[in-house]
Amino acid sequence: MSKKEKTVVIEPATRLEGHANVVIELDEKGGVKDLKFCVTLTRMFEKFLEGRLAEEAPILTPRICGICPVPHHVCSVEAVEAAWDVEPPSAAVKLRDLMMQGKQISSHALHFYALAAPDFLAGPFADPSIRNLVGVFKHMPDAVKKAIALMRIGQEIVKTIGGRSVHPVTGVPGGQAKRLTEEERDRLLKLIDEAEGLMDFTIEVARKVVEGYLDVITKLGVVPTYYVGLNVNGVHTIYDRKATVRVMDPEGKIVADFPKKDYLQYVGEHVAPHSYATHIFFKPAGYPEGIWRAGPLARLNVADKMETPRAQELLKEFRDAVGRPCHATLAYNWARIVELMEAIEKARKLLEDPEIVSSDVKRADVRPREGNGVAIVEAPRGTLIYNYWTDDEGVIRKANLIVATNNNIAAVEKSMLVAAKQVLEERIHEKLKFPEPWFK
Amino acid sequence: MPVKVMFVQLASCWGCHQSLVDLHETLADVLPQLEIVYWHTVVDYKLHDVEKLPDGSVDVGFTEGFCRTEEDLYLLKLARQKCKLLVSYGTCSTYGGSPALLNLYQIDEGLKRKFMEAESVVDKKIPDMHVPKMLEYVKPNREYVKYDLFLPGCPPEPPLIAEVVTSLLRGEMPKLKERTLCDECPRVKSEVITIKKVKRAFEGIPDPEKCLLEQGYICMGPATREGCGAVCTRAGVPCRGCMGPGPNVLDQGAKMLSALASIVDYESVSPEELVQSVKDVVGTFSKFTLPSSIIPKAVSKKK
Ligand code: SF4
Ligand code: SF4
Ligand code: SF4
Repeated sequence: MSKKEKTVVIEPATRLEGHANVVIELDEKGGVKDLKFCVTLTRMFEKFLEGRLAEEAPILTPRICGICPVPHHVCSVEAVEAAWDVEPPSAAVKLRDLMMQGKQISSHALHFYALAAPDFLAGPFADPSIRNLVGVFKHMPDAVKKAIALMRIGQEIVKTIGGRSVHPVTGVPGGQAKRLTEEERDRLLKLIDEAEGLMDFTIEVARKVVEGYLDVITKLGVVPTYYVGLNVNGVHTIYDRKATVRVMDPEGKIVADFPKKDYLQYVGEHVAPHSYATHIFFKPAGYPEGIWRAGPLARLNVADKMETPRAQELLKEFRDAVGRPCHATLAYNWARIVELMEAIEKARKLLEDPEIVSSDVKRADVRPREGNGVAIVEAPRGTLIYNYWTDDEGVIRKANLIVATNNNIAAVEKSMLVAAKQVLEERIHEKLKFPEPWFK
Repeated sequence: MPVKVMFVQLASCWGCHQSLVDLHETLADVLPQLEIVYWHTVVDYKLHDVEKLPDGSVDVGFTEGFCRTEEDLYLLKLARQKCKLLVSYGTCSTYGGSPALLNLYQIDEGLKRKFMEAESVVDKKIPDMHVPKMLEYVKPNREYVKYDLFLPGCPPEPPLIAEVVTSLLRGEMPKLKERTLCDECPRVKSEVITIKKVKRAFEGIPDPEKCLLEQGYICMGPATREGCGAVCTRAGVPCRGCMGPGPNVLDQGAKMLSALASIVDYESVSPEELVQSVKDVVGTFSKFTLPSSIIPKAVSKKK
């Protein structure tokens, strides 16, 4: 490296769950040569799952992520069931679905209000001391109270079904350890009424943000990639045992729609020497051409439509504004609102299903066996893949996990590189239209 | 005057912090009383901002997670230096937590599995550029720095956090609960328990009212500290011991093994046979506390 070349290290990358640094390499003219997104931690669950009783895996793996433990719990238990060839009762499947929707509600509300909104509400140039949830709280207490209420509702659903709001415990191979009583059902329905009321406000905030920032959203850090997400015959889903995995190419063509158990033909992991998180990509296209993204934006891109009516209206509005496929990274926040709406509507639908209070939630005749089981669900931040190999005593011999966030690492790096060039070389932030901050 | 706090995330899952967020409306009352000087998930202050703070200038620091890398260890020591009062927040920080089960293997075996052998990896190599070095083993954080308070739980349940945070805000030192989980568990226990066989969590359908241990399920209640409200046994599953060892217990796994030995029906099975029928002794009895236990290390070495 010549003397004038410089490396800028951002340590740590903030307002994300997890550990990462950003290393920007500049050339002598101050231009951006390269950018590396360095994930600085791995706890290697894949290894220490070896030798564990398979039914304990659903207890262990939620500890991968405390914001989205529910998809880990559900995916973990279903991978064991797949390996042992066990079919849980249909009421148990509905309870898991409801728990997934609860998590979707709280995680999306947290992400939108606590992680993303401060940038938009305070403006990206505000001082860090006010550009955060606490800052928003001081200036817009009403908005934060509504955000907290939405998070509470989602977490209450999780706790009621899963036994705990963080790291649920009720998923057992063969079903659910806890049924939902009628009183609990009625209480949750009231919470859904409350959530529906809060959505009008949330959508209004999102619309204003989008209007104000449309220029930024559509111009900053936009990168075309592949997209991946579950669907059932084109309909958006985050949890469905029959769902298949759709892949869309950067032009918007669906290039694969594969059954879960075939994932190894389609999903590749590239090891970047500067990151403890691997870069997941669409294997047939190779790396880096096949870099894909997962999560709210990807799921909307691959889906032909949403499962519920109000969410479908919001999807239409979204598509009219940003098209399909939409490559704008900042549109993730808007996509999150569309999914939040669906989760609330879906939770109501499940709660209104009489079977949800059935006491037939767990099979009594579960037997461990040697097997290879795959399960895939959608975590709030992306497609989550579990593959367990068990021996005849039901002990895990091998585990392969593709964790939701990893799907996005390569694309995050790519869009940060684009944004860094735009900001440092073209000074795009001086040309973009920003709205007035909501508070200063 | 707002209380200056920092929330530090070492190798962890953020679940302890999520549990703090799960105070919901109570959090809204607490937030305005805090001045957050570091919380990388929520606030944009960087590491160099912390390095610049005068030593001992932060009122309270909470550490979530254990030290997996040299970077974690650096941050832990930095937090100790900057904080007047340091709270070990959660079971990872206090006892090592469940991801410390990797101690059963060499660190290189872990890296190899993840980056070289995983079925979906296409270009096998172990990352070594701009990433911190891994520490050989997980040790409880207290072996690195001194703590003023321990708040175990994986994560600590929100009511417990509320209790601790509100007493800290009042300037009082909170007290940990001093009984075992069985004392706060609503399940009905017989005077004398005997079991002939241990059942795995998926076997049969447990009676909803009766003590799970009595029914043959390995419930860690007798070896575990109370404080979570027995949320798991209430939800129909045995306690896995995430609060860590009960009061005056050094080794949670050893304590549970002796509790089991005291209830086996000697006429039909010996305690050794009973324990051996559990296919994964360490993962069952020391799921959350392996780095702070004595016996399971011996067991695993023998293997
Ligand atoms: S103690 Fe549990 S909840 Fe807290 S960081 Fe560790 S694994 Fe996550
Ligand atoms: S052993 Fe478990 S179920 Fe039995 S009383 Fe103790 S905590 Fe409750
Ligand atoms: S019952 Fe046991 S495993 Fe469950 S939260 Fe309490 S201490 Fe943790």
